[in-house]
Amino acid sequence: MLRGADNEAILRQPRGISGLIPEPLRRANARLRGAPKFSLAFIVFALLCAAFAPVIAPYDPIETDFTAILEPPSKAHWLGADNQGRDILSRTIYGARISVRVAVIAVFLAASVGTLVALIAGVFRGWVDTVLMRITDGFMALPYLMVALMVVALMGASITNVILVIGLLRWMGFARVIRGEVLRLMESDFVRLARVAGSSRPRIMLRHVFPNVINTLLVLLTLEIGLAVITESSLSFLGLGVPRPDPSWGSMLKDAQQYVFIAWWSPVFSGLAITMLVMSCNLVGDWLRDRTDPTRRQL
Amino acid sequence: MGSFIIIRILHGLITLYLISVAVFFILRLGGGNPIDYMLPEDATPEDYKLMTEAYGFDKPLIEQYWKYNTKLLQGDLGNAMAFDRRPTVEVVGERLPASLHLGGSALLIAIVIGVTIGAISASRPDSIFDRLGKVLAISAQSMPIFWVGILLILLFSVYLGWLPSAGGVDGLALKRLILPATSLGFFLIASHMRITRSTMLEVLESDYIKMVRAKGLPPRLVLWKHAFKNASIPVFTLFFVNFAGLISGAVITETIFSWPGVGRLLVDSLIQRDYPTTQTVIFFSAAFVLCVNIFVDVMYAWLDPRIRVG
Repeated sequence: MLRGADNEAILRQPRGISGLIPEPLRRANARLRGAPKFSLAFIVFALLCAAFAPVIAPYDPIETDFTAILEPPSKAHWLGADNQGRDILSRTIYGARISVRVAVIAVFLAASVGTLVALIAGVFRGWVDTVLMRITDGFMALPYLMVALMVVALMGASITNVILVIGLLRWMGFARVIRGEVLRLMESDFVRLARVAGSSRPRIMLRHVFPNVINTLLVLLTLEIGLAVITESSLSFLGLGVPRPDPSWGSMLKDAQQYVFIAWWSPVFSGLAITMLVMSCNLVGDWLRDRTDPTRRQL
Repeated sequence: MGSFIIIRILHGLITLYLISVAVFFILRLGGGNPIDYMLPEDATPEDYKLMTEAYGFDKPLIEQYWKYNTKLLQGDLGNAMAFDRRPTVEVVGERLPASLHLGGSALLIAIVIGVTIGAISASRPDSIFDRLGKVLAISAQSMPIFWVGILLILLFSVYLGWLPSAGGVDGLALKRLILPATSLGFFLIASHMRITRSTMLEVLESDYIKMVRAKGLPPRLVLWKHAFKNASIPVFTLFFVNFAGLISGAVITETIFSWPGVGRLLVDSLIQRDYPTTQTVIFFSAAFVLCVNIFVDVMYAWLDPRIRVG
């Protein structure tokens, strides 16, 4: 029979492969239980590609090589070359730069506008709320992609304009969801106490309400980034997004579409990159939502 | 109930009017000039001036707006600047059947496939079928329409050679419709599937289903006759909610497959800076989305009286 102390010693002994993993990593692993690890890894991978594109990419993404026009995947060009002999792998890696930058900045812009509208509407209520929510509804009735197309077509296709258009046409989701949260929080005891204690409305808004909507905000941010990636590539695909010769995944697909009958490899990989990034954002967003909302964990 | 409908319609009309104002000014404050696209290359500055005056582009913006506004309130959306200068309503109307064909078929595909897979998944949760369904839903949600379209062209036009890759002028023949409708419908499959699955799961747990099961009815009858009827309400709501997304998707699909619909008309009219046609396309699209929204709201209010008060 073992004494208690021995029992503990045995339990503390690292067993199998898990014993080889250092403690901090094991803790991180426990925190990520149920997380879509592949998706998280892919997002990190895309961010690394975006950050270190010049180091990773084997070729210059806009350098044309007329000896390699529409070359199928080979040792020199792993993913083949496009209609101007540009290396598709390098272009896809550089494409991450544009997609990530546009999506992240645009969604932060949208989130800032939406959250501000929600906080003001929810804290001040009354006619302020009514007017702001009517405006939100109006924006929601806009055929979104049509208006985005129109604005970019007229203002000129540039990265800045694409960011502005996505940012200023996608804040309504944030405004609606977060306003609901704010209304709920305004009824809670701690906000009531803060009012009794004499806090001003702006103070309540920033000190008491805002910190409590950050979780929801984070979930929405992740989900919206996926959508923004799709919007940016759609605009670029229609020739009204990121201007050439900058490699955007959308404009790569537009070029590739014309050669689809002779070069299958040219549309496949950039589309795959968009899909993987969007899917990863969606899965991580779903996971974050389930984590912050225990009632959904079982679903 | 009557006053609820009237208020919703009034709100809708105000929103539509504000959208028309916004579109008017965004178009004119942006770059480019329609006259450049209307005159031949060798046009003289006098021609240019004459044309600008003829269209009233030399007048102050606010005056131009007032003219547009007066006409709009009389129900006149103006003549196109390109497209043989016919009334814009006619130009849009001509393209409408092609778009409705495409959109309708896409919705049909999305509903039939989405609902079927969703319902079967719910009847066997966590089975292989359910898992595969989940994978399909997640991919459908994440794949951009234009990539789906290109992949379909790769498979069915290039590799197998079964179906044409472009819509062409002559037809709305079924063969030409399959690929565009599938690409447009594909992203809608996911939402229909998810909502069917989750409502069906709920319904299948209820007592009356246990009762019919205990009675010994075959599972297929239980699923489609008894459970689906009750689960179909949220599915129908979703059907309407998807209209706005469908319009955006149509612009892209019509471009890939050279489909002669309203979506491509928008892109064409934007490129030529044909202000009136662009205005009309967006006006009708917004009106369409607003009508659908009002219809859904009214349906909801009719089904659930609590909403009318709020």
